[in-house]
Amino acid sequence: MNEVIELNQRNNQSQYTPSSAFSKEIEKTPGGEDIQHCIQCGMCTASCMVANMEEQYRPRKLIQKILLGMREEVLRSELPWLCMTCRHCEERCQEDVSLAEIFHAVRILAAREGHIPSNVQNVIDTVLEDGWMLKDGYSDMIEDDRDDLGLTTDLGWNNEFTKKIKKRYIDGGNKK
Amino acid sequence: MKEFALFRGCTTPVRLPSYEASVIAVLRKLGINLVEMEDTNCCGSQYIESINHTAFAAMSGRLLAIGEKMGMDILAICGACSGAMKTVKHELDHDKKLRKEVNEILAEEGLEYTGKSEVKHLLQIFSEDIGYTAIREAIVRPYNGIRLSAHYGCHVTRPEEIVQVDDAENPTIIDKIIEIAGGTAVDYVGKTRCCGGPMLGMNVGLAGRIGRDKIENIRAENVQGIITACEFCNLQLTQVQFDDEASNLSKIPVMTLPQFLGPALGIDFDSLGIEMNKISPQPIIQG
Repeated sequence: MNEVIELNQRNNQSQYTPSSAFSKEIEKTPGGEDIQHCIQCGMCTASCMVANMEEQYRPRKLIQKILLGMREEVLRSELPWLCMTCRHCEERCQEDVSLAEIFHAVRILAAREGHIPSNVQNVIDTVLEDGWMLKDGYSDMIEDDRDDLGLTTDLGWNNEFTKKIKKRYIDGGNKK
Repeated sequence: MKEFALFRGCTTPVRLPSYEASVIAVLRKLGINLVEMEDTNCCGSQYIESINHTAFAAMSGRLLAIGEKMGMDILAICGACSGAMKTVKHELDHDKKLRKEVNEILAEEGLEYTGKSEVKHLLQIFSEDIGYTAIREAIVRPYNGIRLSAHYGCHVTRPEEIVQVDDAENPTIIDKIIEIAGGTAVDYVGKTRCCGGPMLGMNVGLAGRIGRDKIENIRAENVQGIITACEFCNLQLTQVQFDDEASNLSKIPVMTLPQFLGPALGIDFDSLGIEMNKISPQPIIQG
């Protein structure tokens, strides 16, 4: 009985060592707030379909590297970009750590220092320029399909806003 | 008649317009009118979200503000879009600084986020706004017990406390509607696992392996079809069956939930774009 109470009291309050300067930096970045709660149990890796199919990718190990302060290695790696943000792991994490959110924080720091995988960068450039992702894929044939289905063919996307967003937040070092 | 502002997203109108048409036709049949949102932008999910958080909040925030201007709650039919808008709504409702920042940009075009409009995914419209009883009463041509498996979509159901659609570990909305329409809902190994779609931007081969693993788990249950609630999942679970590495066994038809439900409600096949499916769903429809 005492053990049960103890476990309940621990709940989300505890922090676990080691905690590096890098993990504190992640903690202050949007999405990274919960990293110090990780107990390295490995439930994330066990739940992860990417880890299941790709032996290079081990989410627990990536978190461990952050906790240990391996900043350059993590920020320069493509591995944090492999998280599908499917959140299968965080449904199961007993400490309510969201790896999807932590990897967003890692990516935000990596992006600030210019480490964005080229295929991700291409999609980002397209979205910010066109306002959406598939302008180039919208062919006459698809327009005909939409017409047959009684759907509008003018999708009316706005790209002025994303251009403004690019100028304000993305160009010039992503300060915000 | 209840009304919602429909956000089509990027992928549905181009890659799976039959989903958009089916949503509109089926919801109209069930007493819900949709007004398509105009002058929209990408929700920022995954890509912009990964490089700058304020930029992401502004992009989804603008969509939320457009919904408010229309005076309607928003229906998002894509898992990623609904997840993004719900996440940003949650943040704007709890982070005054972020809301002020986003509203400063939106004010330049006369928009404002105040939190009035809710964001719902399609599954919530079925379970909350229409309800299972009304769906049951509208069935005129029930399926004859055909075995079907549901795939829910990660961003549709997780994180549960923010998206508030279904039980994230044991979702049941699609299964219930399969049964109401006369089908037999069949569970399978890894039901709540990802389709691999979000991996397509990073590693197509890896995305395919993840998707095909799901297909084979479903195939093991000897079902006639897969029912989805997100166009991205639907496209991915279809496409992986055409990969060079795919099995030589027959392809399993994949249908979105409204396209599957439509015929049971007496909606004609053309309005649902059934002929446009890459894997013919005739075994389901005729079954």
